[in-house]
Amino acid sequence: MKSALFLAIVLISGFTGGVIFGFINFVTTEPFLDSAIELENKALFESGEEKDGPEFRAEYNNYRGWQKSGMVLAGGILGMAIGSLFGIVFALSRKILPGKHEIQKTLLLSGMMWFTVFMIPFLKYSANPPTVGDPETVVLRSILYLSFIAISGLGAVGFYQIYKRLQSKKIAAFIGYAIFISIIFVIMPPNPDVVSAPMDLVNGFRMMSAFSVSVLWLVNALILGALWQKFKPDVENSDIRN
Amino acid sequence: MSQSKEITVSKSKTPILALVILGIVFGMGLFVVGYDQGHLFSLALGESAYEDIYLHELTHDMRHAAGFPCH
Repeated sequence: MKSALFLAIVLISGFTGGVIFGFINFVTTEPFLDSAIELENKALFESGEEKDGPEFRAEYNNYRGWQKSGMVLAGGILGMAIGSLFGIVFALSRKILPGKHEIQKTLLLSGMMWFTVFMIPFLKYSANPPTVGDPETVVLRSILYLSFIAISGLGAVGFYQIYKRLQSKKIAAFIGYAIFISIIFVIMPPNPDVVSAPMDLVNGFRMMSAFSVSVLWLVNALILGALWQKFKPDVENSDIRN
Repeated sequence: MSQSKEITVSKSKTPILALVILGIVFGMGLFVVGYDQGHLFSLALGESAYEDIYLHELTHDMRHAAGFPCH
């Protein structure tokens, strides 16, 4: 395999998907983030910690401007990170993935990874807007979230190994994973924080977050599949002259 | 008389170094966007980086949007 080409197409796919993900967030999650932070501001005014006025608003707009300005860059970085994980798994599993076209293969793998390392953990530990989340529990919540992603992802790999070894009734591997992850889902502690924000805000944000992240997985898979099909980094051509 | 022919060789082996590099990009990217609380900038700025948390604020909106616990 051509290493440099392989690296380049994986990173370009991930970065491009991430940048698109970042731009999409300006119309999907960003309005909810603004609403949630405005609720935090309201609480500050009511408690007397801050006073609303031009001075506060100037500082606030500056602060929010910095946060918003990072959306696309952070999207690109996160896209490269997720794209790298996807590239590793794709390179190792490509030959056994069904499909004639590379895009068929990347879409199938992306769907499986989206479900196991994003959607299942998301259902247990859903995204939350600002105003939800006690700073005292952020380490615990981070550990729980990452652990669930790792357990679900590694569980899927483990049950794939079982799937390969089964001579018949391969569906047992899928059922086994479903039972395994259901047990983990129940056993894992819930998010310890109480949600006091309006639920229409929280649920709207969660839906937009899930949609936007799903776009990242889709776009990354489409671009990687298209680039792999075009450049074929796993094929080496050599001229032999007699 | 010389003859030229092209032979296409398909190599199945995935380069380990490339996988390691991608693994590092994955880990670093995830940390920067999802978990940094001033750690990276503290290497250059010292303890004040944990107060300023510039990187955390820069990735703040994406952190929420992508589902990471933020604060």
